[in-house]
Parts: sequence; C-alpha cells; structure tokens
Amino acid sequence: MSSDLMSLLSLGSSALAAANSGVAIATNNATNANTVGYSRQTVDFESNLLGGVTTGATGRDASALLQQRIRASAGSLAHSSQTQASISDLEDTMTTGGSIDAQLSSLFSRIAQASASPTDATLRAAVVQATRDVAVGINGRAAQVASARQDADVRIGQNMPQAGQLALQLADANRIVAKSGDPAALDHREKIAKQLSAFVGGSARIDPDGNMRFVLDGGAVLVDGTHAATLQTSTDPTTGYQIAQVVDGGTTRDVSAQLGGSIGADVTFRDKTAKTTADQLDQLAYDTATAFNAQHSANAALDGSTGNLMFVAPTAVRGAASLLAIDPGLDASSDKLALGSPGGAIGDNSGGLALFALSTTKNAVGGTRTLTDAAVSIIGDLGSAGAMAKSDNERDQIVDEHLAGLRDSLSGVDTQEELTNLARFQSASSAITKFVSSINDMLTNLIDRL
Amino acid sequence: MRVTDHRIVDMAAAAAQRNQSSVSDLSQQVSTGLRVSKPSDDPAAWMTAQREKVRAALNDGTSQVVDVGRERLVASDGALSTLASIISQARDLAVEGSNDTIGAPERQDIATQLYSLFDTAVATANTINADGEYLFSGNNSLTEPFDVTTGAYNGDSIARAVNTAPQTTQIATVPGSTLTAANGVDLIPLIKTLATAMDANDKAGIQNALGGFVTAVRQISLLRGQTGARMAVLETAKTAHDQLATRIQTSISEGVEVDTVAAASNLAKASQALAVSQTVTTHVLQLLDPVK
Repeated sequence: MSSDLMSLLSLGSSALAAANSGVAIATNNATNANTVGYSRQTVDFESNLLGGVTTGATGRDASALLQQRIRASAGSLAHSSQTQASISDLEDTMTTGGSIDAQLSSLFSRIAQASASPTDATLRAAVVQATRDVAVGINGRAAQVASARQDADVRIGQNMPQAGQLALQLADANRIVAKSGDPAALDHREKIAKQLSAFVGGSARIDPDGNMRFVLDGGAVLVDGTHAATLQTSTDPTTGYQIAQVVDGGTTRDVSAQLGGSIGADVTFRDKTAKTTADQLDQLAYDTATAFNAQHSANAALDGSTGNLMFVAPTAVRGAASLLAIDPGLDASSDKLALGSPGGAIGDNSGGLALFALSTTKNAVGGTRTLTDAAVSIIGDLGSAGAMAKSDNERDQIVDEHLAGLRDSLSGVDTQEELTNLARFQSASSAITKFVSSINDMLTNLIDRL
Repeated sequence: MRVTDHRIVDMAAAAAQRNQSSVSDLSQQVSTGLRVSKPSDDPAAWMTAQREKVRAALNDGTSQVVDVGRERLVASDGALSTLASIISQARDLAVEGSNDTIGAPERQDIATQLYSLFDTAVATANTINADGEYLFSGNNSLTEPFDVTTGAYNGDSIARAVNTAPQTTQIATVPGSTLTAANGVDLIPLIKTLATAMDANDKAGIQNALGGFVTAVRQISLLRGQTGARMAVLETAKTAHDQLATRIQTSISEGVEVDTVAAASNLAKASQALAVSQTVTTHVLQLLDPVK
C-alpha cells in the first residue's frame, strides 16, 4: 500500500514539474511577445508507459523554408532600398539648378541671336558666357556623379568589415547552437544571418550537422560550420575604388560581382548605374566639344582668322566631362567667336548659322542623337533606373511584409494564447498540488497508524 | 492561423503609413502643380517635357532673332521711305529746273536744295542700326556704305539671312547695292549729278538726270515692296513662334502638370482614408491595451 502511495507521489511530482515547465514557457513567450526575431517556444509532454508524464525538450515554432525566404527577402529589400536611395539622391542632385540641355539650348539661342547681329559685342559676349556655362555645367554634373560614386565606394569600404563581423558572429552562433541547441540561440543565428543577407545578399542553408552555411550568389563561402571567411576591401589601382574581397584559406577572391544586399547595391550603383551616367556625360562633353570645334574652327572670327576653337579640344572620351573647358582664346576675347565664313566680310554670319544648325544635327552618341537630346537622355535614363528601383523596392517591401505576416502567424507570440496557456498550466499545477497534498495526507495517516 | 498583437499593430501602422505617404505625395502635387517633379516619377513624360522645353528655348531664341530682323527691316523701310521722299522731291526739283522759263540764278537756288537733299540722302542711307551696324552696307556692316562726298556705295551686295526656326532662314537686311546701278540707277549719286548740272545751268545734264529719276522712283518702290514682303514673312514667322510657344507650353502642361481638380479630389479621398486608418489604429491599440 505504501509503495503505491509513493509511486502516486512520484507521479504527482513529475506532473507538477511538467506544469511548471508549461508555465515557464508561456511566461517566456509572453515576455518576448515584442522581441524582434523571437520564435514562439513550445514544450511537449509525453505520457510514461508506467504512468505519469515526461517533459520533452523545448521546441520552437519555425519553418526552415520560411526562414530561408525571409533571409533572401532581407537581401533583396536591402538591395532595392539602397539602390533606390542612391539613384534618388543622384537624381535630386542632378536635377537641381540649370540642366545641361537647358544650358546647351541657351548656347544655341545665343548663337542664333548673335548671328543676327554678328558684330554686336554684347551678343558675342553672351555666346561666350553661354559657352562657359555649358562647360561649367557639364563639369559640375560630372563632379556630382563622381561624388555619388565616391559615397557608394565609402559605404562599401565601411560595410564590408561589418559584414565580416557578422560572418564571424554567424560562425560563433553555429558553435553555440551545436553546443546548446537552445531555441534562443537558433533565433539569434537567424537574426545574424538575416543581417548578413541584408549586407551581402547570398543564401544560407542548414547542413545535416545543424550548422548554417552561408554562401554568396557567385559561390564564395562566407561561413561554413564554425569557420568564417574574412571580408575586406582593397583599393583598385586603376580606378581607385574599393574591391570587395573574401579571404579564405590564404586565397583572396574578388567578390564584387557576387554581392547582393546593400553592399551589392552600392557596387552596382558605383560600377554600373552611376558609371553609365558618368560615361554618358563624358560622351556628351566629347561630342559637344568636337561638334562645336569642328564648325567653329572652319568659321572665321571677327578678325578674319580661322581655326579658332570654342572648347579645349578633348583628347579622349574618358574624363572629357570633368575636363571640358572653354577655349582660352575665346574666353579671353569674344572677338575670337567665329560667326563668319573664311574670306567673308565682318558682318558675315553664315558661320553662325552653321553653328546654330548643330542644334538639330545628330552629332551625339555616334550620330544617333542631337546634343540636347543626348543631354535629356542622360537624366532620363537615370530617372528610368530610379523608377525601376522604386518599383523593385515597392515589390520587395510587399514581399517582405507578406513574409513577416507568415512568420508572425507561425512563430509570433499571441499574448492571449499565452495567457490562456498560462492559466491552463497554473490550473493544472494547482490541481496537482492538491493531489500531491492528498497523497501526502494519506501517507502521513498511514505512518501515524503504524 | 495565429494573428498576433504585434502583427495587428504592424498592419494597422503599415496601412496608416501608406495612406500618410499618399496624402504627402498628393499634397505635393497639389501645392506644386506638378505630377512629375523629377524624372523617376514618370521618365517618359519627363523626357518628353524636357525635349519640349529645349524646343521652347530654341523657339524663344529664334523668336528674338525674328524680332531683331523685323526691327532692322522696319528701320530699313523707314530709311527707304525717307529716300523715296527725297527722290520724289529731287525729281520735282529736276522737273522745275528743266523748265525753260527759269534762269541760272533760280537753278542755283534749286541746286542748293538738291545738295541739301543729297546730304540728307547720304545720312539716311548711312543709318546705323541699334546693334551698331550700318543698315545698308551688306556684310561690310561696320563700314559706312555711302561716300558722303560722292554717294558711291562701299558695301557689298550680300543680304543677311537669320534663323527664323532651327532649320529655316529668312533674309532680314537690305544691302545698299540695291540702291545702285546694279538694280537700276545709282540713286544717291544721281541727286549729286542733278545738283551739279543744276548748279552749272546744264540743261542737257538736267534732262539726262531727270530720265534717271523715273527709274529711281520705280527702283526704290520695288525695293520697298521687297522689304515689305520680307517683313511680312517675319511677321508670319513671329506668329508661328507665338503659336508654337503656346502649343509647347500646353504639351508640357499635359505631360508633367497635374490636373488640379482630379488631384484635389484624390487628396480629399486619401485624407479620408488616412483619417480612417488612424482611427482604426487607435481602436486596435485600445483593444490590445492590457491595462484595460
């Protein structure tokens, strides 16, 4: 008889422990209801063959597939957000103040006006000033693009080491997860992986040994088990920009083209979007100087001389935008403005008419566009890229929001649910306490009678 | 499906934020009057508008050129009108001087008047335009076209064309060569010749000069007709410029400017949606308030 009472007491003890575990889990869940990245924890109870209950390991409500999608979404969202921000900033900068197309059309207008009165010093000076404005305008835009690229480069230099730190933390988190299997450690690892994705894109998978392996889209492994590669940058001797590198096992790889996330967005902006704009500006500057110089040098200046330039002749397309400058001779004297034709009288304006005709001649981009149209297209192309980035970002935000909803429905904490569980476990705990108390009374009576 | 408090608050906040963003965008549109304020708002519309602005700038430039051309032709026509009047007076004096009833003293008086008319004609033909160029010197625009002593022409015969549009030019000057024998008679020297003959009481010379005045009157009349025709062309060009400027402005407005009524209506709707979402958010927060 006493033996049975003892087993009943033991049974009550295990039940009390189980109820207390439930209370602890529900309390922990409720406490973390607003903790970002927290996955709701669960506890399993199993009935023993010989009676009583066993408390299983603490689990968590999470889906590996969903987490993988969330990490990928974090990379995409960070990429499109950074792309949109960079392009939008450059677009705002480049549309503030006088546009190049307006400066070019102003130059053409001034030429037309001076051609109507080719000896008028005021009108000639206005053409010279408009020429200066075009050169300074293109210089300014080139500087703005260079500055935007430089800003992106600085961010790459700052963010790569931060991503490297996250890779180290992820490797460390693998170590902790392998050691403890704690659900909180798994959440922590997810959080780090998501942050790393936001920086570099890429993908992570859970290996059979439970470790998270993080790989860039181009195949470079950043984290493998408890080992993390080093992420660094080095200066490209040709461009002066930072090259994103992964150093692993003594091997250094340029991973600039493999990067997604915000760093990948900066690389793409610096090396493609803004570079395209810079190249277009160089081409426009080159085409402008070449077209005007060709006609102007064939014209006759006020003193009858020919061969005068309007702009300093560019030696190459590359860098032409930042080097574009008014010809020093013309800058010094508007008498060098050539609006006449060789051998013509002082009031001859046929050269001026020919210069003005450049406004409708396709001299830019390999003879496919007029100079003003090419100038419009530069900002237009940037605007198209900005619109696309905006659209991508809106899409990514929707996806991210949707995934956040899915995650919340699976892994989030509903405080009402947890309060209900808490009440349930507390109720069970009270009942078991009474049960144990009754058994204890019975046992005490039995001992007293002996 | 589990819907957490966190999720409910997030959804309410996101809805409010979206509506707030809509209100912000629409407010900006209504206040600036622009649907497209930067290229990425609508790249195609922005580029179209920008190209139209380039057209407008070129149109404005050539419009000013047309104004300059018109003013020059008006000034030239004024000078030609004066010259026509002088020629007419000179011819009348020639007729008077050719009359056998008058003698040498009267002819000398007439000669004095003719010398004066000659000086006036030369001064008129040597008129300087507002831009500092001589009206009638052709492309030798800084050279005095008519010799003050002989009335001989020193300019060239080139009429200056100006751009009335990017690919269109129109003559906007009258070279003094049109007042020379190349187009009839040497108008101004003819006055001097008549004055000299009158002064010398040379009846044959007077008769000879008188014949030249018949041609001169026709010549200057024809020239004024040509000048008037050129002015009419520039007037037409000016009208075309004004119309094009209006069309371009309309095109730009349609492309990038906002339909004020539609924008105001949309703003009202968005404001209402924002107010509703804010109310919902407040309600949700009250529902989830654990203290309550």
